[in-house]
Amino acid sequence: MRWRRLAAVLLAGLGLVGLSACGSAGGQAQPKAEAAVADYASYTQVMVFWDPSDSYSNEIIAMPQMYETLLRYDPQTDKFIPVLATSYEKSQDGLTWTFHLRHNVHFHDGSLMTSANVKASIERTMQRGNGAAYIWDAVKSIATPDKYTVVFHLSTPSPIDFAAASPYAAWIFNTAPLKQHGQNWFAKGHEDGTGPYELQSWSNGQPLVLKAFKDYWGGWKGSHYTKLVFQTIQSSSTRAQMLESGQLTFTDFLPFQEIQSLKSDKNLKVVVTPSWQNLMAFFNTKKKPLDNVLVRQALSEAFPYQEVDQDVMHGYATQSRGPVPLGLWGHDPSLKQYHYNLSQAKALLQQAGIKPNTLNLTLTYTAGDDNESNAAALYKASLAQIGVNLTVKPMPWVAQWNLAKATNPAQRQDIFMMYWWPDYANPYSFLFNLFHTEKTVNFNLAYYYNSGFDKLIDQANIDSGVNRSEAVKLYDQAQTMLVQDAPAIFVFDEEHVRVIPKQMHGYYDNPAYTNVVFWYDVTPN
Amino acid sequence: MLVLVGLSVLTFIITRVAPGDPAALWMGPRASAAQIARATVELGLNRPLPVQYGIYMWDLVHGNLGVSIETHQPVLNNIAAYLPASLELVTSGMLIALVLGLPLGVLAAMRPGGAFDTLARLAAVLSVSVPTFWLAFLLQIVFFKDLGLLPLAGRVSELVTVLEPVRHITGFMTVDSMLEGNWTAFWSALQHLVLPALTIASYPFGLILRMVRASLLDVISLDHVRLLRALGQKRHTIAFRYALKNALPATLTVLSLTFAYSLTGTFLVESVFNWPGLGNYTAQAVVTNDYPAVMGVTLVIGVIYVVLNLVVDLVIAGIDPRVRYV
Repeated sequence: MRWRRLAAVLLAGLGLVGLSACGSAGGQAQPKAEAAVADYASYTQVMVFWDPSDSYSNEIIAMPQMYETLLRYDPQTDKFIPVLATSYEKSQDGLTWTFHLRHNVHFHDGSLMTSANVKASIERTMQRGNGAAYIWDAVKSIATPDKYTVVFHLSTPSPIDFAAASPYAAWIFNTAPLKQHGQNWFAKGHEDGTGPYELQSWSNGQPLVLKAFKDYWGGWKGSHYTKLVFQTIQSSSTRAQMLESGQLTFTDFLPFQEIQSLKSDKNLKVVVTPSWQNLMAFFNTKKKPLDNVLVRQALSEAFPYQEVDQDVMHGYATQSRGPVPLGLWGHDPSLKQYHYNLSQAKALLQQAGIKPNTLNLTLTYTAGDDNESNAAALYKASLAQIGVNLTVKPMPWVAQWNLAKATNPAQRQDIFMMYWWPDYANPYSFLFNLFHTEKTVNFNLAYYYNSGFDKLIDQANIDSGVNRSEAVKLYDQAQTMLVQDAPAIFVFDEEHVRVIPKQMHGYYDNPAYTNVVFWYDVTPN
Repeated sequence: MLVLVGLSVLTFIITRVAPGDPAALWMGPRASAAQIARATVELGLNRPLPVQYGIYMWDLVHGNLGVSIETHQPVLNNIAAYLPASLELVTSGMLIALVLGLPLGVLAAMRPGGAFDTLARLAAVLSVSVPTFWLAFLLQIVFFKDLGLLPLAGRVSELVTVLEPVRHITGFMTVDSMLEGNWTAFWSALQHLVLPALTIASYPFGLILRMVRASLLDVISLDHVRLLRALGQKRHTIAFRYALKNALPATLTVLSLTFAYSLTGTFLVESVFNWPGLGNYTAQAVVTNDYPAVMGVTLVIGVIYVVLNLVVDLVIAGIDPRVRYV
């Protein structure tokens, strides 16, 4: 009899499983949807930094929903959209910037946003010095002459409008909870911004759920998403299938093969926009024979630019012109490019006194990045044709970076391949971080120390706070110097390729805010 | 206790000598050298290793497993969130494996060499040799894409997460939703559990079937079983009521080890089904050298192994009257 009881239990269990499969439509038990829900899946962890002062990672996709900046930059028009500041002006010498705040803006706890909050937010960010706090380095003091006016006094001219529109280090938040609950209050998973969405729920391992903030200053007329879900889905195949089935509204990254398979779906559309992310390969200019400009120019002429653009990037990239990407002010469309020319490369190597099959180089790139891997493989094959032996070494990012910062320079790599994208819409973010002389190695991984170049870009940064056209001239000169000196191969400017539902309207892929969807501006149907 | 201390020393040494810079990971990929230097001091990474280990163990005895370098959240909170999800998944998978594997193993042993026995052994071999991630993809394609019967991934549907969220009581979504009377969430959780649990069940199913069959074949040939046959007892009665008890100890031991291993060893399944479990968390911690998380998970899994072994030993003592502990 016991085995009959066992069989009965087994059958009951299987029956339960079978019943669960016969749920409501689509194979899922669903509550009645009274909300328009946007579901954003990222391939990596969403909330890394909860603190808006420290934010410097992937939480960029969620922060603009909960927090706002004074301004937002639109590269298409090259203008600033008023957000928490309705207008601003600067003094003629560029040392005083005055912002006029929007009235009747409330934080999510209900309190009113005033100039005191703006001052407190930015001063806290500066004082903590984390993330991209350096964008405020020129700020000497912040004054609040009245409830809705903020005045920045600078020690040197600086483009404060770009800083105020930055996706990092420029969030305006309520500091009152910090006085009550301690400075770690944000880090524990809380927020208090002015953004259109506020926190509904979050815990470890669970999606981040935001709900519409009913007192948002922009109001809720028309059609808006009222709930946002941010979750991590590492498997690209799962993200692609969820997009196809309509369970997902957006994902930040899909491999090209998944994009190709989704292209023919009648419910989806592919959106391609320039990004400000580019790929570069930095030569170790302090190591022989890479300290010879002729050798660097030869190696630049041996890179298969078009093959990488077409075969590795499937046409979703264009060869760079210098380090400032296409679409960012300061980009020079007339800047010289090196072209794939093996005979010219051979001639330059000969001129430099390098005999064939005597030059051995090591290139490092970030492990797991297929595009870098394939580009490096093509470069290796190309160099082999001119008698240069390239060893390609994939490494975890931190290990790759540590090797580049090795205290013994002889241990460092010959060529360091990596992406870069700006912290804010300023060419200085590329030129300073990547090529300015450094006392301690940080991101100038060509170890390019050129005081003439330094002077040009430092002056350009100051000029950009007063007269942008003068700054552009200096940036052009600096980039011309860079291309001539060839401290790096400027490989490609990448395009963002997004697959989104056809009924999603109002989406604009703004390269100044990488992977960000401003959901308040997007219409669900 | 000695095992756990030894484990902590070994894991600490391995994680600290592995190449990587936890301070750089803590500050984010674009941190400056100055920010990383500051973080190195704040995290205590500039102190001698024995001092760091001492501080870690002092915190550990006070219930503090440190802060994850990757997630910036307390490791204990991370584990408390991910462990129940893994327990729910692995327990469901093991139950399926046991419910299917045990009787099938017995039935196969009752007529060795017969058609059923052959099919059962083939099923066992297939289930242990098929790659779990491949099986996961296959189940998704068949049950989600082609038949539209079951969901693709996750623990519950997004609408349930947003509109009828389940309060964390035990961390088992099916149990918590039942306790709250949230039947929409319960059915959603059950539907989401089916495919990943079936995937997890495949390997232990084959293992249990083979072990039970082999153990029973040994037992069935013993004198006391032959006596029962001679006394007219039916074959299935002998198998399930008398012989199975002899086969259980070895099976339970292997099952407990497989259970503990699966808590972190199923990260591929968790990745395919987007199941927020300990496997995924641990894999990410290892890749990024998030040493507090690696150490925390290692110690917790170590404790689970010790507890599971104890439980199995007690169960075996209950089943087998020959086993007595002093």
